[in-house]
Amino acid sequence: MGDAAPATPPGSRRIDLRTLYADSEIGPLLAELDNDLVGLEPVKRRIREIAAFLLVTRAREQLGLSSGAPTLHMAFTGNPGTGKTTVALRMAGILHRLGFIRKGHLVSVTRDDLVGQYIGHTAPKTKEILKRAMGGVLFIDEAYYLHRPENEKDYGQEAIEILLQVMENQRDDLTVILAGYRDRMDRFFESNPGFRSRIAHHVHFPDFADAELLSIVEKLALQAEYRLSEEARVALRDYIVQRRLQPNFANARSIRNAFDRSRLRQAMRLVEIGAEISADDLVMIEAADIRGSSVFANSLPKSSP
Amino acid sequence: MRLTQGTFSYLPDLTDAQISAQIEYALGKGWALGVEYTDDPHPRNTYWEMWGLPMFDLHDAAGVMQEVTACRAAQPQKYVRINAFDATRGWETVRLSFIVHRPADEPGFRLERTEDRGRTIRYTLHAYATDKPPGRRYG
Amino acid sequence: MNDKAKQARDAKERYTPGVIPYAKMGYYEPDYVPKDTDILAVFRITPQEGVDPVEAAAAVAGESSTATWTVVWTDRLTASENYRAKAYKVERVPGSAEQYFAYIAYDLDLFEPGSIANLTASLIGNVFGFKPVKALRLEDMRLPVAYVKTFQGPPTGIVVERERLDKFGRPLLGATAKPKLGLSGKNYGRVVYEALKGGLDFVKDDENINSQPFMHWRDRFLYAMEAVNRAGAESGEVKGHYLNVTGATMEDMYERAEFARDVGSVIVMIDLVIGYTAIQSMAKWSRANDMILHLHRAGHATYTRQKNHGISFRVISKWMRLAGVDHIHAGTVVGKLEGDPAVIAGIYDTLREPRTPENLSHGLFFDQEWAGLRKVMPVASGGIHAGQMHQLIDYLGEDVVLQFGGGTIGHPMGIQAGATANRVALEAVILARNEGRDIRTEGPQILADAAKTCQPLRAALDTWKDITFDYTSTDTVDYVTIPTAA
Repeated sequence: MGDAAPATPPGSRRIDLRTLYADSEIGPLLAELDNDLVGLEPVKRRIREIAAFLLVTRAREQLGLSSGAPTLHMAFTGNPGTGKTTVALRMAGILHRLGFIRKGHLVSVTRDDLVGQYIGHTAPKTKEILKRAMGGVLFIDEAYYLHRPENEKDYGQEAIEILLQVMENQRDDLTVILAGYRDRMDRFFESNPGFRSRIAHHVHFPDFADAELLSIVEKLALQAEYRLSEEARVALRDYIVQRRLQPNFANARSIRNAFDRSRLRQAMRLVEIGAEISADDLVMIEAADIRGSSVFANSLPKSSP
Repeated sequence: MRLTQGTFSYLPDLTDAQISAQIEYALGKGWALGVEYTDDPHPRNTYWEMWGLPMFDLHDAAGVMQEVTACRAAQPQKYVRINAFDATRGWETVRLSFIVHRPADEPGFRLERTEDRGRTIRYTLHAYATDKPPGRRYG
Repeated sequence: MNDKAKQARDAKERYTPGVIPYAKMGYYEPDYVPKDTDILAVFRITPQEGVDPVEAAAAVAGESSTATWTVVWTDRLTASENYRAKAYKVERVPGSAEQYFAYIAYDLDLFEPGSIANLTASLIGNVFGFKPVKALRLEDMRLPVAYVKTFQGPPTGIVVERERLDKFGRPLLGATAKPKLGLSGKNYGRVVYEALKGGLDFVKDDENINSQPFMHWRDRFLYAMEAVNRAGAESGEVKGHYLNVTGATMEDMYERAEFARDVGSVIVMIDLVIGYTAIQSMAKWSRANDMILHLHRAGHATYTRQKNHGISFRVISKWMRLAGVDHIHAGTVVGKLEGDPAVIAGIYDTLREPRTPENLSHGLFFDQEWAGLRKVMPVASGGIHAGQMHQLIDYLGEDVVLQFGGGTIGHPMGIQAGATANRVALEAVILARNEGRDIRTEGPQILADAAKTCQPLRAALDTWKDITFDYTSTDTVDYVTIPTAA
């Protein structure tokens, strides 16, 4: 219809960011991020920044200010078990609620899912994964394995080219998050400037401090209806110090596994007692359940019996 | 002549946005989507060529549209259709099938009649397009 | 010892010559727990004044199984307690002073495997004329898997029918050629051709088109097939005409069906009035000849319509799914013929679902498992037109044949235009439904929009815009779901 609205000077049009924020319902997602994840303060700050940026992008769009389709691809760097996948899941939710992706699911892959074994195998595999990720987030863990500089004929290059093309041309259809160790990702970006230029947000996930790992276990225990005795807590502190020194330390993942194994030891201990036991016994993790770990056996040169 | 196979052949040709909406409907039902093409429009030509395998586990129509676009570009003078397949027990069959591309010119069919015993007539349907070898039909 | 003595005394009482109540004869067992293999039936009983409802229920159980009016000593030569049907529950019909629901269980071995004739000879044999009940209606049945498995079922079924016709995702469209009687074969074929060319999938013989002086059956078959093949060539679609092979004898019917097959028809048709055995014979023939079998329910309303006496159509539907038909006329809700929405929903589910759970508000009294028996395509026919397309699809879903006879042939621009109007309306509503629009409320707008590019649809909407058949149904459900406050 041609009902000409009275011309408003562009600078004076208004939009309520709070309403926009409330309507998008990202508040609860950010709150969950805060409550469910121990530590990770710099990460949470970065995620809030990105969310704010996306919200403002939406507001600019609604007031007719140029924004273009923003580049949303991200790199999550950090050691294993620092929460990259968990945060990526939340990020998919945020992007979805703000309308930057249509469906909000996360497809998590590694090199093997994208790269084939023989000629002509890679393109269909990569495209298949991309089609599944359409409308959501494609999370590529240890993305640097796609690039094998030592092998010129490596099929990974084919996957990289397809990915780059989609990241550029179908920004509306999906968001890509590349993840892995920080140093390796840096080298990967150096040798693949195409990726570097298409990544809008770099988020680094620091290792968890000892105290944070401890509170992760306490949180897990609470959820599973277990309790740690005072001695167990001390043992766990020792455990964390020792475990960090050993190979394949994976932050929260290692500590979660340690907790699971302590439950097994507790169960064995209770069965061996064989007598009548109380609910408290069933709930309590004792120091022995922690100290039984091979982490201690290998690290402490104890005098042999 | 307009070939009227498929769920929506009596409507004006669907736009890509309309096609996407139908794909979303099928994805919402958990159906797998396949793109197929042919230059033999005979109604008993059951097996159109598959443009790749049916697509499972997709969340969004964009992936299917990508294949539709690619198939149209590669086969501009053929019929292209989307099939949605339902693997639910008791169905295990196509639940939606519609044409998303057709050749510029559709010459149609010749009906051949052979007189038989009494006044019986044997009928054979013959697509004019198939007078030419595969690949050279439809201009 | 004591038990034996008691048994002997009971037997003596039970088998003393004379007349004793059916309930006492063992046809009423309130503690009986039906076995998984029992055939269950629920009857609506209206006892004569002064007759106890329990005794009436026991009498129905007795008369539909082993009993006669008096005690016979020959019962004692059988395991008669197994063969006696047992009324195990008798309840007053909600809101009725004189009607009762009687639930009766029948042992599987009372019936010949795979024979509707045998089943019905028991269940509706003598008992419907039985004097102690004023009126009697067979409301529903539970057919155990063990029994279902003895039947062939639909020769083709919905899935294979669609694959064979290459038609998916939408209801099929049909029309009955009109006028019902009087057209010559050549004129008749014209109607068939026009309707199919315009966009219908099927045209149908009417139920009383057989082989009359104005048109012998072979004439009709030959001209109809010319029309079917011509329309197929014009559209590239598989088309069909239900050739009615109903005849005086099985020999006639086989002859007609074989000719239909030989001239290339994909479908033949029979009428319900040919009887259950003839229907099963034609089902078997159709399975052997890759034929879709269409059943017109001619005559059913004489015993299905009145709520107090007869057989409910959902029971007929169950029998027909066992007997094996691919299409059955099952009501339109919105058209000119009887059809309460809740009752129709129950019947459509019975025909189309792999299992139907008990749902009293749809008139389904039992869980019914169909054990892989194919699905029957319901047919909605009678007084429907393009302007109701959204309602029809909303009520009936997409696995149904919608038949617009008058609504096609009576179109002001001609039969082809009438067919095109229906097809465009159908596709437009399905398209919109799949796009997530609410067709129930937006239907008229969706149709009006589609009519912008389709003159025949515009004309159809204008011609029949106010035609509805809004009468109260006689066959309704007794249990109403009261929506709980949200």
